Amino acid sequence: MTDAMGIILTRNQDANMNELTQVRDISALPFAGRYRLIDFVLSNMVNSGIINVGIATHVNYSSLMDHVGSGKPWDLNRKNYGLFMLPPQVRGGAFGAAGDVDLLHNVLTYLRRSKQKYVVLTGANIVCNMTYTDIIRYHEEKGADITVVYNELEITDPQLKKCTTYDINSTGKVVDIHHNLSEPVSKNAGMDMYIIERTKLQALIEDAYANGSHSFINDILRASMAHLDIYAYKYEGFAGRIDSVVSYYDNNMKMLCPKVREELFAGKNPVYTKVKDQVPTKYLEGANVKNSLVADGCIIDGEVENSIIFRGVHIAKGAKVKNCIVMQNSVISERCDLENVVIDKECTLRMGKRLVGQPSYPFILPKRTLI
Amino acid sequence: MKATKCVAMILAGGQGSRLGILTSKVAKPAVTFGGKYRIIDFALSNCVHSGISTIGVLTQYKPLELNTYIGNGSTWDLDRNDGGVFVLPPYQKEETGEWYKGTANAIYQNIEFVDQYNPEHVVILSGDHIYKMDYNKMMQYHEEHNAAATIAVIPVPWEEASRFGIMETDGEGVITRFAEKPKEPKSNLASMGVYVFKWSALKEYLIRDEKTPGSENDFGKNIIPAMLDDGQKLCAYGFEGYWKDVGTVQSLWEANMDLLSDPPVLDMYDADWRIFSRNPVKPPHYVADGASVTNSCITEGCNIYGDVKNCILSEGVTVGKGSVVEDSILFPGVTIGENAVVKKAIIGSDTTLGNAVVVGDKSVDSSEYESKYCSADISLIGGNISIGDNTKIGVNAMVTKSIEA
Repeated sequence: MTDAMGIILTRNQDANMNELTQVRDISALPFAGRYRLIDFVLSNMVNSGIINVGIATHVNYSSLMDHVGSGKPWDLNRKNYGLFMLPPQVRGGAFGAAGDVDLLHNVLTYLRRSKQKYVVLTGANIVCNMTYTDIIRYHEEKGADITVVYNELEITDPQLKKCTTYDINSTGKVVDIHHNLSEPVSKNAGMDMYIIERTKLQALIEDAYANGSHSFINDILRASMAHLDIYAYKYEGFAGRIDSVVSYYDNNMKMLCPKVREELFAGKNPVYTKVKDQVPTKYLEGANVKNSLVADGCIIDGEVENSIIFRGVHIAKGAKVKNCIVMQNSVISERCDLENVVIDKECTLRMGKRLVGQPSYPFILPKRTLI
Repeated sequence: MKATKCVAMILAGGQGSRLGILTSKVAKPAVTFGGKYRIIDFALSNCVHSGISTIGVLTQYKPLELNTYIGNGSTWDLDRNDGGVFVLPPYQKEETGEWYKGTANAIYQNIEFVDQYNPEHVVILSGDHIYKMDYNKMMQYHEEHNAAATIAVIPVPWEEASRFGIMETDGEGVITRFAEKPKEPKSNLASMGVYVFKWSALKEYLIRDEKTPGSENDFGKNIIPAMLDDGQKLCAYGFEGYWKDVGTVQSLWEANMDLLSDPPVLDMYDADWRIFSRNPVKPPHYVADGASVTNSCITEGCNIYGDVKNCILSEGVTVGKGSVVEDSILFPGVTIGENAVVKKAIIGSDTTLGNAVVVGDKSVDSSEYESKYCSADISLIGGNISIGDNTKIGVNAMVTKSIEA
């Protein structure tokens, strides 16, 4: 077992997801046909031997709570530790969580009650299949106070502008930290993932909170660079950052690539999710499906191309679905023609509807829309 | 003692030898069905939806996989504080210990288990039938008629009636005669192997049957006739709906194909009566450019590059480019290479077929693989074997060992 606990911070504020996150926290965003984003980080935790995981939530967390439940799909329904939902504490009125520090201050009691040596502190909006054991070993070898995880992006990658980036010296030590630079100077994109000793984290949170600080990056990481050793660990595998509608769409479409799917799902570390006991998907005579990912419980009688079809979707005869993401239980009726559309859960499209978006600007149909 | 109204006992100890290689390593109730189920999922899910949450599963033949599958019962919400699902193999007693000699003996040996719950009624079920049934309705009928036992019956075609246990009833639904596989059936009401007994009555007859020399300790052959002889009130409960005994390769193939019928003869989409099963931890299935899938059921973890028509594919199946698979049932983890042709086959778990393999070609002589278990041109390929490139296999064949290219 790993002597570490996990804290997952879920937060919407940096994401530009339009209607997709109006109804849910970004960590509960459906992904790749049968998952939610939180599944990846939770599975990474348990696949690393972590059995004490807290989810610090902020707003709109009912979808998230519904999804993770008791933590059973991840074997986190335990007598010793397990899964802890840590919703905001409201003190005498509205909850004024301005940033990560406030969220973390909320979970101090949970941190103090836990006994693990390290904390894996992470966001939930990166799709990857990784274990933290190697990172903890790296952290120990370096004698680091904090280890940050990053991967390299192309310097021209627009996502870099939304990342925390690190300047790293030859020993792996972080020498400078940048955040949201309009002209990125480093390709080392932070993955919002940190290893730190639990007691040290407690002290840093207490200090930052006492100073009225809000930002983990600016007020804790950057502020402590002078007196703490911060090292950076480079992650080489697939990492899909979801921070906008376009990146959500693009990363879903990347799941059509067999190599990416193999890396994410076929290795020794499975990605667990809530099971729905849906029947296998039924293909009828009119089905014509090309290059698509289809989850269970669907009935398909129409044409589907380059698309991600979630559980329980019905696509009627003569309907055409191209380059689309169709979420759970949506119904596409006869002769509908859809291209570059993200259809949220439980939408119904009556006969003959035509919707066309652009790959760089997919059309979003909000949850439970009826057209 | 707190009384549980009803305990269900599922008979899951039989080998099901007529399924050939499919049951060489697992008991029949653990055989894969419909892409993501095991046969026993139907009985267990029916119990749960009928409000029965104390269940004994009687195992004997090759129980390991079935035991593992049932686990703590959480798949069916049967991990309960009070009751739940219990696997009951034969066990050593003070003086003797013996295998289950028959269906009735299996329950007899577990009288103590049932008595722990002090139930009013006991439901006896087979773990090898495909159907959706509300046992609670049957129990209400049983109580309303104040029967000692109630037997679920289903009308079968007259010409097939001699294959079943046939009930003759009076006008009120009271059973007057029971005939096991009669040559000249006088009724077409077949026993479904679903019984509700007053526990006090059943216990008495089980104990008596055990003391009867020469008894086969079987419900159909001994217990029911003995109760009828004594003038006990036995009622027939008519069931309407889909019910299929999947005891043979052909009936297993047919029952799978029934899932593809349009409209379906067995509605698997009823959200209030879901058939629960252990769900694989796999991503959605992928259908590639150039593939074609029609009239088939496909589940998670499959990768389809070829043509699939009228098939049931279980989790993690791969069908290679240029391959054609028709009218077939592929168990979990089957891999089919490129340019293969598979027709009317059942292929066991984790078996690999190489490139250009042909299965189910009538023009190929497969007398060396001929099997009494296979009929109607169905071919059976065992699990965990590999069939080398370019191998050709005919119809009605049963392949149990790997074949080199």
